[in-house]
Amino acid sequence: MAGGPPKALPSTGPHSLRDMPHPLAGSSSEEAVGGDSTPSPDLLMARSFGDKDLILPNGGTPAGTSSPASSSSLLNRLQLDDDIDGETRDLFVIVDDPKKHVCTMETYITYRITTKSTRVEFDLPEYSVRRRYQDFDWLRSKLEESQPTHLIPPLPEKFVVKGVVDRFSEEFVETRRKALDKFLKRITDHPVLSFNEHFNVFLTAKDLNAYKKQGIALLTRMGESVKHVTGGYKLRTRPLEFAAIGDYLDTFALKLGTIDRIAQRIIKEEIEYLVELREYGPVYSTWSTLEGELAEPLEGVSACIGNCSTALEELTDDMTEDFLPVLREYILYSDSMKSVLKKRDQVQAEYEAKLEAVALRKEDRPKVPADVEKCQDRMECFNADLKADMERWQNNKRQDFRQLLMGMADKNIQYYEKCLMAWESIIPLLQEKQEAK
Amino acid sequence: MEQAPPDPERQLQPAPLEPLGCPDAGLGAAVGKEAAGAGEEDSGVDTMTHNNFWLKKIEISVSEAEKRTGRNAMNMQETYTAYLIETRSVEHTDGQSVLTDSLWRRYSEFELLRNYLLVYYPHIVVPPLPEKRAEFVWHKLSADNMDPDFVERRRIGLENFLLRIASHPILCRDKIFYLFLTQVFFFYLADSRLKALNATFRVKNPDKRFTDLKHYSDELQSVISHLLRVRARVADRLYGVYKVHGNYGRVFSEWSAIEKEMGDGLQSAGHHMDVYASSIDDILEDEEHYADQLKEYLFYAEALRAVCRKHELMQYDLEMAAQDLASKKQQCEELATGTVRTFSLKGMTTKLFGQETPEQREARIKVLEEQINEGEQQLKSKNLEGREFVKNAWADIERFKEQKNRDLKEALISYAVMQISMCKKGIQVWTNAKECFSKM
Repeated sequence: MAGGPPKALPSTGPHSLRDMPHPLAGSSSEEAVGGDSTPSPDLLMARSFGDKDLILPNGGTPAGTSSPASSSSLLNRLQLDDDIDGETRDLFVIVDDPKKHVCTMETYITYRITTKSTRVEFDLPEYSVRRRYQDFDWLRSKLEESQPTHLIPPLPEKFVVKGVVDRFSEEFVETRRKALDKFLKRITDHPVLSFNEHFNVFLTAKDLNAYKKQGIALLTRMGESVKHVTGGYKLRTRPLEFAAIGDYLDTFALKLGTIDRIAQRIIKEEIEYLVELREYGPVYSTWSTLEGELAEPLEGVSACIGNCSTALEELTDDMTEDFLPVLREYILYSDSMKSVLKKRDQVQAEYEAKLEAVALRKEDRPKVPADVEKCQDRMECFNADLKADMERWQNNKRQDFRQLLMGMADKNIQYYEKCLMAWESIIPLLQEKQEAK
Repeated sequence: MEQAPPDPERQLQPAPLEPLGCPDAGLGAAVGKEAAGAGEEDSGVDTMTHNNFWLKKIEISVSEAEKRTGRNAMNMQETYTAYLIETRSVEHTDGQSVLTDSLWRRYSEFELLRNYLLVYYPHIVVPPLPEKRAEFVWHKLSADNMDPDFVERRRIGLENFLLRIASHPILCRDKIFYLFLTQVFFFYLADSRLKALNATFRVKNPDKRFTDLKHYSDELQSVISHLLRVRARVADRLYGVYKVHGNYGRVFSEWSAIEKEMGDGLQSAGHHMDVYASSIDDILEDEEHYADQLKEYLFYAEALRAVCRKHELMQYDLEMAAQDLASKKQQCEELATGTVRTFSLKGMTTKLFGQETPEQREARIKVLEEQINEGEQQLKSKNLEGREFVKNAWADIERFKEQKNRDLKEALISYAVMQISMCKKGIQVWTNAKECFSKM
């Protein structure tokens, strides 16, 4: 057994990865990689910074060089985006400025990632890099691999059916940008994930592809150890709290799915309503050409209906772009959380199996073998990480949904306000007495 | 609708006599000739051919119906049914029929034809069309024009309509009917252009105000019908939008059951969604009142048209009487002077079968003179009647116009007020919901 109970668990407060002792540090298990958890210094090499040095993947040329925003304005922008809850923040990340790259082999979009941080893990106070969706996907898999006991935020959907959705339309790109920004912000807010080296490299590396190719598995101890957990052990009893989480996530995903379908249906009905309105308004216009005294009132009504149609179109666009994607994200989120729960179950199962095996051997040595102790530690760490993450997730979910639903209500209020204004402005016109012609 | 000042020049005088070129100077031929002539600018068309077209036996059938999508007059995408009209001429000799024409027409084109016939032949009971669709009812879920049974019944009805026209002694000779069966693009006249031709036809000197009024009433009828139809569809869609929101109520409630802090906010927001969904019933109920106000003027347009038609009939009657009188006067003159200028059957038989005696001629002149006297009396009284009618009718029409403008303005105002109320309700509900969400 290597020492006493695990020391300061990674999930408490922001600590530099170098400072944090790994709970399983010092163990002589063959599963350990390297001597300690300090990442290789090579990878935290100073990066020369400057947009002119930006090397884009596949040799594409950027559509235009982007200059890093000045520190203060960047900070302001980020602070407006972030929801400051009293914690002193030392890491800010923002995703913006999508640009299209046309190469011989393919066309794709990159986004600018701007990072500002006072953390020691960052050599420079500010970075600006360009990344494409592939890179985000890589980051996510790396995080899943290296931090298996944590909940990794979801990415927007990877595959887009060509021909159905225009991958390069402004709306699609903007929706994706927002989701990618949310993704990075969630990682930034996480006390453990934000210190992950892959994350650091993602934010800072000039040439991400080169780094990817190095293939060095920078797994944390935990990552490595969980990776080798053998499946196939049957779980005795799931602790109540995790069973409850599992049930909750099941129902939650179901309800979100229903809400997604309802929201889509509403948008569809609204669009069909819009189609009819667009025919309805002009009929009043046609009628006004037949009339004398009624011409102006009828024309006014036609214009009014036209304004309402425009307002409705804005509503449906907003709902499609802002509301639906966030719902989908949360559904993806709960799916990935379920798989983390499963992994946790496996870790527990392995522990229980090994414990039972020991008990059956009926050794009279009271000492529990090292590997069983390791399993126990692993399980307890996982449980603790997961619990903390779940709490954090619940809080964020609450805020996110409050904001999302209030936003939906707001959009509808704005729609009705626009229509109200249009109809109220026409009343005086309708009541006006025409001068005798 | 324009208000032309009453034209004192347009007194109801007998029309100048036109030489009639057809051997058969009967009414039917005159009608046929005029109908044929009305269709185009050049009068070089061989009207006899067109009239003779119907002398051969023809078979008309509406043989097929096909679903189509296209763009309508408002440039909106729509689905409609097109019907294939096939015309066959039957050779007397062997009874074989040869397909002479075939083209596709949609229901609205049949309507155009019927409207034209109504206008041109006010005396005649024009065969009706089969039902177009259920009347203006928005909540009727099963009113489907694409339903195959409905389409089949309508196909038969349309064929019946054409057959009845073809077997009508007067209508069958109409040139526009002929063109309907044979020319694809010629017939696509806008209603107003068709009506513009109206004025020059049949009645030689109609009061322009009545002609304009008739155009107006036709156009009003058509635009209000269109408006009511689209409004019904709008109401249908709006109903759908509101009702789907009701589903939020249930799912929020179910979701709130698994939430701790979020639960209350969700639950109460869900309640507001239910309120929102059920509010549409009253809203649409109120809107039906507006639709009723429009419908009243839709039917009023019919009444306007009836007045115009009455004027036309009186005018036509007057002109025929004047024409008849003039023809008699001419005959009388010819008999008296011995010159024959008009081509008449009597004249023809006289030539063929020998002159009549001076006594016979005297007798005929006397009869004619009596008839002329009578005719002049009748013409005078018809003239008077006509002028009275125009005066009274126009006074009522002016009154009607004022009423219409008042009523429709009121209707539009009340419609706007309804919309405002609906918007305010919407704002209220969503503000309440937003408040619940903020407490999540």
